[in-house]
This record gives sequence, C-alpha cells and structure tokens, in this order.
Amino acid sequence: MTPRAAYVHVPFCRHRCGYCNFSVVAGRDDLTEAFLEALARELSELGTPREVDTLFIGGGTPTHLKSPSLVRLLEIVKYWFPTASGYEWTVEANPVDLNPETAEILAAYGVTRISLGVQSFQDRKLALLERDHRSREVRHAFDTARQHVSSVSIDLIFGVPGETLVEWTRDLAQAITLGPDHLSAYSLTFERGTQFWNRRKKGELLPIEEDAGGQLYERAIDTLGAAGWEHYEVSSFARPGYRCRHNEVYWTGGEYFAAGPGAARFINGRRESNHRSTSTYLRYLSEGRNPVQESELLDNEMLARERLVFGLRRLEGVALIRFQQDTGYTVQQLAGEAVRRFLDMELLEETATHLRLTRRGLLVSDSLWPDLI
Amino acid sequence: MPPTSGHLIRNFCIVAHIDHGKSTLADRLLEYTGTVSQREMKEQLLDDMELERARGITIKARAVVMYYPRNGDTYELNLIDTPGHVDFHYEVSRSLTCCEGAMLLVDAFQGIQAQTVANAYASLEHDLAIIPVINKIDAVHAQPDAVSQEMEQSLGFESTEILRVSAKTGVGIEALLEAAIDTVPPPEGNPEAPLQAMVFDSHYDEFRGAITYVRIMNGKIEKGQKIRFLRGETTHEVLELGQFAPTKQPCDLLHAGQVGYLICNIKSMDQVHIGDTIADPRQLAPALPGYQEPQRMVYCGLYPSDGQDFSQLRDALEKLSINDPSFDFEPETSDALGFGFRCGFLGLLHMEIVQQRLEQESNIDLIQTAPNVTYEILTKRGDTLQINRPQEVPDSGEIAEFRQPIVRVRVILPADYIGPVMKLCQERQGVQQDTEYLSPTRAILTYDLPLAEVIYDLHDKLKSVTRGYGTMDYDLMGYVAANLVRVDVLVNGNRVDALSIICEKSDAERRGRAIVKKLKSELDRHMFEVAVQAAIGARVVARETVPALRKNVTAKCYGGDISRKRKLWAKQREGKKRMKSIGQVDIPQKAFMAVLETGGDS
Ligand SMILES: Nc1nc2c(ncn2[C@@H]2O[C@H](COP(=O)(O)OP(=O)(O)OP(=O)(O)O)[C@@H](O)[C@H]2O)c(=O)[nH]1
Ligand code: SF4
Ligand SMILES: [Mg+2]
Repeated sequence: MTPRAAYVHVPFCRHRCGYCNFSVVAGRDDLTEAFLEALARELSELGTPREVDTLFIGGGTPTHLKSPSLVRLLEIVKYWFPTASGYEWTVEANPVDLNPETAEILAAYGVTRISLGVQSFQDRKLALLERDHRSREVRHAFDTARQHVSSVSIDLIFGVPGETLVEWTRDLAQAITLGPDHLSAYSLTFERGTQFWNRRKKGELLPIEEDAGGQLYERAIDTLGAAGWEHYEVSSFARPGYRCRHNEVYWTGGEYFAAGPGAARFINGRRESNHRSTSTYLRYLSEGRNPVQESELLDNEMLARERLVFGLRRLEGVALIRFQQDTGYTVQQLAGEAVRRFLDMELLEETATHLRLTRRGLLVSDSLWPDLI
Repeated sequence: MPPTSGHLIRNFCIVAHIDHGKSTLADRLLEYTGTVSQREMKEQLLDDMELERARGITIKARAVVMYYPRNGDTYELNLIDTPGHVDFHYEVSRSLTCCEGAMLLVDAFQGIQAQTVANAYASLEHDLAIIPVINKIDAVHAQPDAVSQEMEQSLGFESTEILRVSAKTGVGIEALLEAAIDTVPPPEGNPEAPLQAMVFDSHYDEFRGAITYVRIMNGKIEKGQKIRFLRGETTHEVLELGQFAPTKQPCDLLHAGQVGYLICNIKSMDQVHIGDTIADPRQLAPALPGYQEPQRMVYCGLYPSDGQDFSQLRDALEKLSINDPSFDFEPETSDALGFGFRCGFLGLLHMEIVQQRLEQESNIDLIQTAPNVTYEILTKRGDTLQINRPQEVPDSGEIAEFRQPIVRVRVILPADYIGPVMKLCQERQGVQQDTEYLSPTRAILTYDLPLAEVIYDLHDKLKSVTRGYGTMDYDLMGYVAANLVRVDVLVNGNRVDALSIICEKSDAERRGRAIVKKLKSELDRHMFEVAVQAAIGARVVARETVPALRKNVTAKCYGGDISRKRKLWAKQREGKKRMKSIGQVDIPQKAFMAVLETGGDS
C-alpha cells in the first residue's frame, strides 16, 4: 500500500537557537533558489503525483521564505502531493514571520493547520532560548493564524535553566487563555553539537534538577487536563477532535513520504533519511545523486517493536488484539519478561483491551523503551 | 666478528635512583663506542617500549654489546641499562647476576637517594666492582663536591675513585669507559667446561616465538646445537643466537662470559622460565642457583571487560609474564565480575604498568578491583591463612589473630623536613627505628610501618611534604597482629564481593563512608530506590541512598525520525547489558575503578 502522508523539510531559519539540533541553516537565504530546485528534483523521482490524507511542512521555519518562494514551495508540494478530501495540511511557523500576507498565501493553497513555535510567554525564557520573538508578538501571530486556518497548534518548552513551577504555571495559563486547539509541551534537552551542550559543559548553563523537571511535566498534565484538554501522547495535548493526524501516522506504524534535508521517510517497510547537512543535500541533488544518507529495511519483529514502543507513548496505549492482528506478534512474545516486570512495578497497567503507561510509568517512560525495543 | 676471548670481555650494568640519568648515559656510551650512529641516535634510545617513552622512565632492563678498541685490543663491553623505580627492582637484581661490575650513578644536584643506597648494597651483595659516578655535572644547580662528600661518608667511596660525568654533554665518558675496563674484572667462566647459561630475561615474538636472553657462565653455545632447559625439562634446537647492538646481531657462537639471546622456535609460553639454567643435553651440567622469587606487595583482581573472554585474558597474562616474571596470577571468580584473575605486583606503579601493557600489547579491556596487600590470619583452629583477597577473610568468630605485613622504610630527606615526615609516619602508625645523618643537611629516617599505608599513598604524601626532595625505599619485615576488619559493600542488601576491603577497625567507618559515597555517584537512578551500604559483618557503618528515578521523559519525535529514537534506545539497552547486575541494580564497570580511588585517600 502506498503511503497516505508526506513530510517536507524546509531548513531555513533567521538564526540558530542555542538548543536547536535540527537540520537548519541560518542566515543563508541565498540558498533558497537552490533548495527549491533540489526539492523539485527530489520529488520528481516519485514519477507521478501521490494523493495524501495528511501533509506536514516543517523546519526550520517554512514561513521564513519570502512570499514568491513560499508560493513556489506550496506549488511544488501541492503538485506532488494532491490532497484527498478531508485532508489535514500543517505548516510550521514562527511568531515573527507569520504576517497576514504569509497566512493569506498558506490559506489560499489549502493549508488547514498552523503550528506556531511559541515556546513560552515569558520573555526571560524566550531570551534564554535565543528565540527571536517576545511575548507580545505571540498574540498577534496567533490571531492571524486563527483568521486563516481551521486549526492552530502551539509548541511550549519547559525546564529551561532556572525555571520555577510558578513561571511554567504562568505559561500554561497564558496558553489556555490564548486558546489554541492543540499544544505540544517539550522538556528542554541538551543535544550534542548545540551551543547549549557546550555551555552546559563549561558550567554556564545549569540544567534543572530531575525532580523539578518531573514536577513541571506533571503540572502541565494536570493543568491542561483540568481545562478539558486531552493528553493523547507523551508530549501532545489536544482539544477534543483536534489531534494531529499526521503525527498519529508516525506513531501508529503508518508509512509516509518525505523530502528535504534530514527528512525521514518510511515506505514499503524501509526507513530512510536524507543527508542532514543542507549543503550536502543540495550538492547531491545538483549532481543528480540520491540524497539518502541512511536506509534500512525493517524485519517484521522490528516493525512490531516500534509499534509497541510508539504505541505505548500514546496515552491510550496498545490495543492488544489489534496489535497481534497487525504485527503478527503478541506483546508477550516480544517482551514478556520486561512487560511483566513493569506491570509489577506499576509502570504499566492492563485494561480489558489495552496495555498502557501508568502516570508513574509515563514520567520515567524513556527508561522503559530500551527494554522493549 | 670473531669471538672475543674472555679476558677482553667486561660485563657491567648501570644502576641508580630513578631519573639520575642511566638511560642517557647508555646513549652516550653507545654513541662513543660507535655502536649507534649519530643518525640513529635519539634520547634514551634503549627505552623503546611505548610505555617507557610515554612515561619517560625505564621499565625493562636492556642488554647491549659494544666494542671498544684500546692498545691494539678490542674489548667487548656488555652493558645493561636498568630501571630506577623501586617497583622494578627485580629487573635490577636479575641484571646484577649477569655482571661483574656496576656503574652507580648519582645525580649531582639530588645527591644520594633511597634507591642509590639500595642499589649500592645490592651490588655489594653480588660482589660486583662498583664504579661510583656523579652525573649531570653540567646542570645549573650541580653540587658535585657536596655529593662527592656524601658518597664518601655514607657509602664509603674514596673521593679519588668517584668519576664526574655529564650524560647530557658527554663530558667524562672516555674516562668512564677506561675505568670500566680497568675496574671491572673479566668474567671467570671456562669456555671449555660443560655449558651453563643463565636465563635472565625473555620476551615473546609473534613470529619467532620466545626469545631467551642469556648470560653464558661456562661452556659455549653454537648455532644448530641442542640445548636443554633444566627446570623446564625441555630440549630445543638453537635456530639463531646473537647479541643486541642494540638490534639483534646474529652470530655463530656465544661463549662463557658473554651476554646474548637465543631463538629456538618455542611457541608454548610455559616452557621458558626466567632464572632457569640452559645446559648441553650431551653433557648435562648442574643447575645454577637461579633467582629468588620476588615478593609481591599488592594484589588486585583483573577481569575481562564485557565481550572479552577469560581465555583471551589468560593468554595475554601468560604472554606478558614471560617478559615480566615479577607479577603472578591465578584464576579467581567473583559474583559481581565473573571469571578473572587475582594478580600480585611489586607495587602500585608495577600494577598500573602491567595493566597498561595488557591493554596495549594484547588489546584487552580490563576491569580492575581495588588493590590490597596480603594479610595473614591465624584461625581459632590453629591454621594460618594467607589472604590475598578480602573475600577470603573468614567470619570474625573464626579469627584468632588478624595480621598485616610491616615494612621497614628508609626515607632520605633534607634535614629541614624531618619534623613533617615524622608526623606523616606517625599518623600512619609508624614506629621510628633510627635517624642517621648523611651530611649536616641531609638525613635518613627509618620507620616500621604497615605495608598497606606505604603502598597506597605514602610516596605521594612524602613527595608533597618534602617538596619532592624526599625519597624512600622499603623491605618487608614480617607480619604483626593488628586490629583489622573486612568492610563489605552492599547494594540493596546484596554483597558486592569485588568491592570488599580490609582496613584498620578505627578507620573502617571513614573508609566505608568514602566508598558508599563514591559508589552512589557512579550509579544511575533506577526505577526503585537503591541503598548502598558499607558493613562490618552485620553492622552497617555507612549508608547512602540513590533515590528512585522520578522523571525521564523528553521530547517528541521530530519529523517522524523514528529510526534515530529507536537506535538511541537500542544503544542504551546495549549499555545496560554491559553493566554488572547485582540484584536488579546495574553497576557500571567504572564503579569498580571508582572504589579504587577511595583506596588512596586514607
Ligand atoms: N642536565 C643534565 N640532565 C641529564 C643528564 N643525564 C640525564 N639527564 C636528564 O635526566 C632525566 C632522566 O634521564 P634518564 O636517562 O631517563 O634517567 P634514568 O636514570 O634512566 O631514569 P629511569 O630509568 O626511569 O630510572 C632526563 O630528562 C635527562 O635528559 C645530564 O648529564 N645532565
Ligand atoms: S527556529 Fe526552530 S528550527 Fe529554527 S533554529 Fe530555532 S529552534 Fe531551530
Ligand atoms: Mg632509564
């Protein structure tokens, strides 16, 4: 079966934020043309346009493109991935770039959902994260998005150095007041190769204590839950009916196309990812070479294990019978010993139909996955 | 080169305290005699082991042959450069049996040091002719006159026989060579008598098998002949023989008085024993006295790190032991670490060197347990047990007397530091034996101290208290009863055998606290609380708790990059497998090393 989802990566950003390890180029707008050409060339390998149910353009900052370039991007994507009826089409945007003109263009091409990189409403946090917007710009960008698309999501980051429960609670309250349909809350991580990583090593940045991080995360779950939000995946919250369908494809073992530097695809049981370096990606395509850097064919057991882990990251858990029908494996066969141990420790629980994380299990879930994968 | 007749041979070694310039002097001698050309010359040429160059010290004694013409004769000089560090004294003592003379070097600034005295006595015990030499006379702070006086006073040399050289600039080298010929007697052996050759060293060559280093005491060996190892009780054919100059120079014959090597295609490593005698199977001569087994001072467990098996480690130990007979090893098992070896060493530096050589030369990863000395226990039943590992200590109810080794330590130091050094020794339960003055400003302090205190850090502490001017040397005196206990480490109630230590009862709590604290810092948080305790028998003396993991959940999976996450988790899973798991608690390999550090901060 051919995939019904597609991801396109746009690597441009105004500057690189200190914690960011995505496939990004900052201050290289001169590469825009080359990128669009490369993307068109990469997608032309598809041969024929592929109809999809969900589309996601992420980055980087897709809305950092100047209008004519943005138009070309949307043209290319729309040509290769025509949408089926009832589709979802998300584009990521940063508060400073999302002006009425950009939003207009997105809407005109049929974008249905904007994911806004808010990160925080506290200027202290925004400055520390080296974001280029401030709190007062968020409202404006949000309203613009609201006027043009049917669904708006925002991202928040918690657990930045020095963050208190009070500061985070304020962020959550302001988010609820703003009123998006979907919210992703991530704890800050220090990734190798980022400035934050080096600054932490030099002792300039002090990560918050593990226990404090746990409190912040629980505060998000409790506050959003009380406000009627559904916590449906480790870091994702939605108002009823507004889950991100595209992400759900990733998490439930669905297949998807992908294009752009660093983009990962999953087609015919094969996982591939493109070169993460934008310049390498551009060079390969200009030389007519394949931009794939890593490629592996997954066997059925590995597919089943991925399904298990990513399924458990969704709060409703894994439907046991369905799991066996889809993968050919029982959870018992794959990881009976570990699952029993986690059940005993009350990190996992069983309902009549599902296996799922408990609250305590959710909090330490990254320590469970190595035993299950 | 025709064989040199016995009366033209001189065999001598260079001995000295560490860093007094032995290897540099060897360079000059090799250069002056034309053994090594200017082009091939480099500093401390004979220190060719990777570790020797990296650390700037000699670890292995090296024999070289040099030729020196005088008055129409060509003399054959067999020189052995020896290491100076006390941990390698077995190398020195074996070298001494191959020589008739010794150059005793003293640094013109540092003067007589602990190993100077030790080496002077050892040379006398072997009846060697000693050539006293003051080295580094070129150095800015050199005080050759003062040093000369010290040597007269404390070692009884005549000022006229003490030579002054600079191994750096080459001043005095010719006079030194002349003195070697005049002072060192030629070897006594009879080339016509039945063969007796002393095996004083060996090493293993991947391609050629064991290379045996010999000093011919009587008779001769020819290429192609059969030889017999008297102790090894094996017979071999000599495929190649020769001398080092400093690379192998094959020849057809070695005779009484000469030093050289033999290659016999010996691939089985247990056939060569250092200290063995080689004889002619057609005409068997009696065995030579051989060497006294060196006294191992410290023991530790060596275990293969994950993925490597025990037999790989055993092969590596066997291979190394033919080049370094001064450590020993026997298999042991540990609940925590599996199958490994308990190894005995001459000191901590020796332990470190052996470990590094195993890792470098055989490409093995090791886990090492904390070092300990050998204890003696008299049981209530009247048996005496030698305890090389803390796990072997029986229950306290069965112990009549717990004894520890005591050593006599001689510290040579500037008189100004006598006070602080006495304090240092007293803190370590030392009993003062003697104070002697080398000169008005320098003294020798003699103390009896527990070996354990000496081994762990006395040397470092001495260096810091005396600003580097104090040096020490020690000899084992015997075992003395002491108030000792075994301290165990428990992780969630399970004893981790490889972490047990033996120490003074009065020190047990402090040591226990240090260990559990360190161990706590090495453990990852688990899903449950982990108690780390130190206990004497059933009595817990220190406790730390590693709280349960509260939060470990991070971010979403950006852009569907599921592979990256999966690989990360798979890697974490492999990392967990590598840890030793004790009652569900994963203990990283590093933790076993960490406890080692606490051994030092007593
Ligand atoms: N100024 C001066 N320095 C010297 C002289 N001889 C040796 N040195 C220096 O002293 C240091 C130690 O020299 P080595 O020859 O390695 O000493 P060693 O006695 O062989 O040392 P071990 O084998 O480790 O005991 C080196 O830095 C040499 O360069 C000398 O005559 N004059
Ligand atoms: S805006 Fe986003 S993608 Fe761009 S640098 Fe910052 S964190 Fe990275
Ligand atoms: Mg040396």
